[in-house]
Amino acid sequence: MTTLALPTPRLVSADVLKLRKNRSLAAVTAVLTVGAVAITVAIMELLHVANPAKHGAAGGVTNLGHVAFLIAALGTAAAAIVGSRVGAGDKDAGVYRDLVVTGRSRVALYLSRIPAGFAFLLPFVAGAYAVEAVSAVVFAGSKPVPDTRLLVLTGLWTVLEVAFFYLLSVAIAALLGSRSYAIGVVLAFRLAISPIVASISALGIVRELMPGVALQALAPSALGDSVRQGPAIAMSTGAVAAVLLVWAVVAVAVAGRRDVTRDA
Amino acid sequence: MQTTPISPYVVEVEGLTKRFGERTVVRKVDLRVPRGSAFGYLGPNGAGKTTLIRMLLGLTPASSGQMRMLGLPVPERRAEALARVGAIVEEPRFHGHLTGRENLQIVAAARGPEAAARIDASLEQVGLAARAGDRVKTYSLGMKQRLGIARCLLADPELLILDEPMNGLDPAGIQEFREFVRAFVEDGRTIVLSSHLLDEVEKTCDHVAIVDGGTVVAQGSIAELRGEGHVVFVETDDPQRARGILANAPAVERVVDDGRVLAVSMLDLAGVSDLNRRLVEAGISVRRLEPQQASLEQRFLEITTRLENAA
Repeated sequence: MTTLALPTPRLVSADVLKLRKNRSLAAVTAVLTVGAVAITVAIMELLHVANPAKHGAAGGVTNLGHVAFLIAALGTAAAAIVGSRVGAGDKDAGVYRDLVVTGRSRVALYLSRIPAGFAFLLPFVAGAYAVEAVSAVVFAGSKPVPDTRLLVLTGLWTVLEVAFFYLLSVAIAALLGSRSYAIGVVLAFRLAISPIVASISALGIVRELMPGVALQALAPSALGDSVRQGPAIAMSTGAVAAVLLVWAVVAVAVAGRRDVTRDA
Repeated sequence: MQTTPISPYVVEVEGLTKRFGERTVVRKVDLRVPRGSAFGYLGPNGAGKTTLIRMLLGLTPASSGQMRMLGLPVPERRAEALARVGAIVEEPRFHGHLTGRENLQIVAAARGPEAAARIDASLEQVGLAARAGDRVKTYSLGMKQRLGIARCLLADPELLILDEPMNGLDPAGIQEFREFVRAFVEDGRTIVLSSHLLDEVEKTCDHVAIVDGGTVVAQGSIAELRGEGHVVFVETDDPQRARGILANAPAVERVVDDGRVLAVSMLDLAGVSDLNRRLVEAGISVRRLEPQQASLEQRFLEITTRLENAA
């Protein structure tokens, strides 16, 4: 029955429902994205208003970069939490077998979860960036105001970074069959392993195989060091795309294979 | 319109084996579940009941052997077969943060639009309509069992496979469950019910397979397994004369006299009325004429003890 092998909009909607109705997941995701940006911008602006001589305005190009870095970092944490829920939530809840016994193909069950997680996570990230983009312009004060192109490029870069680590989290959770391990692995990889590998210059071009390095190479140059973690490593857009694509496709495919063949 | 090869059996299993490493959990099982029956799959904990169900449903692959469900070979045509099968494996599990109705919506999304249209009727049928809007984490175990059955009913199933379905049900719930099983079977559908509760299987099912150590050691109708109709107890005012008369009756295989009651082994239960006629015609008063009714529990213990002794 080939129709059963493909994810349907109804199946994706059901997966979105599982995430949307999870209040604690929604709250944590909101705090790590929109909440973190709103609080950061508010504090910076309050400090500026209280003491303009010591604290600069909350907006401008540099602060756009700083807050974009914050969204990318905390958004990765949110992506790890949401992605691991997407990758292993049904198994953790013990309902995966009940979905399998419907006769629906396991490939369809796996593939439907991926867009569902995006549909849940990306509005939070987009919301966080919208807050930042508006503040970068409105609260620029005497600082250079980011132009439209920079705002769009920074937004796309931020979303790409979060989306990539979301995919990686889904894959690792599906592979391990455990949410907590997946969160730990993704955060360790993003926040520790990737920067450490990037800083070991002896590794040379091998460093470019790390997705964290590739993503930083893709950051808008106008943001300068404000979004950088570790040394600047130049890469062509094609090389960045190839690294990210290979990582994403291999991770999703390997995890999908494991998800489909393991005992339910 | 789906067409199904007509078979008198909804489940046919031949030589089914499941090994986990060196350990064989299900060993060359042959099983036939008659269409329209309430079939008990009976065995102690760890006998391999759940593993067999999991193989049938495609949750774990078989190491060897053949399976057919609703006349379709599985796993080859598993999706087609499962479209008309409802199942609860082990205890029913749900997303606790979702309501009962939302949990059914999720499974209905995997099954298709027809299943979604059955959500209200399924909740009504198991008596959960009033609590359908509550989060499942507030449900009792019995309510979760009901919701599990409602989830099965979304498939409008020809075959229901339930693993230990009476766990967590109170006496009233068990009674309701039995009534549900009877109504389901009277509708021409089939239930396979795995359980370690012999008494419940005996009260709920009409066919049974007894499994022990991963092997089916006996299967048939409950009456066959209890050995009904083979032995008749006879009490009269003259046991010695009665014994001679009964021993010469054509349907009688053997008569054992314990001094008070005669145990008459019959070739055919239809000959019981002939025994009564012969005794009355000989002027012997018959006080008791009763076919032996061994409980399934006795038979189960006999079979498993015999196997243990043989081992």
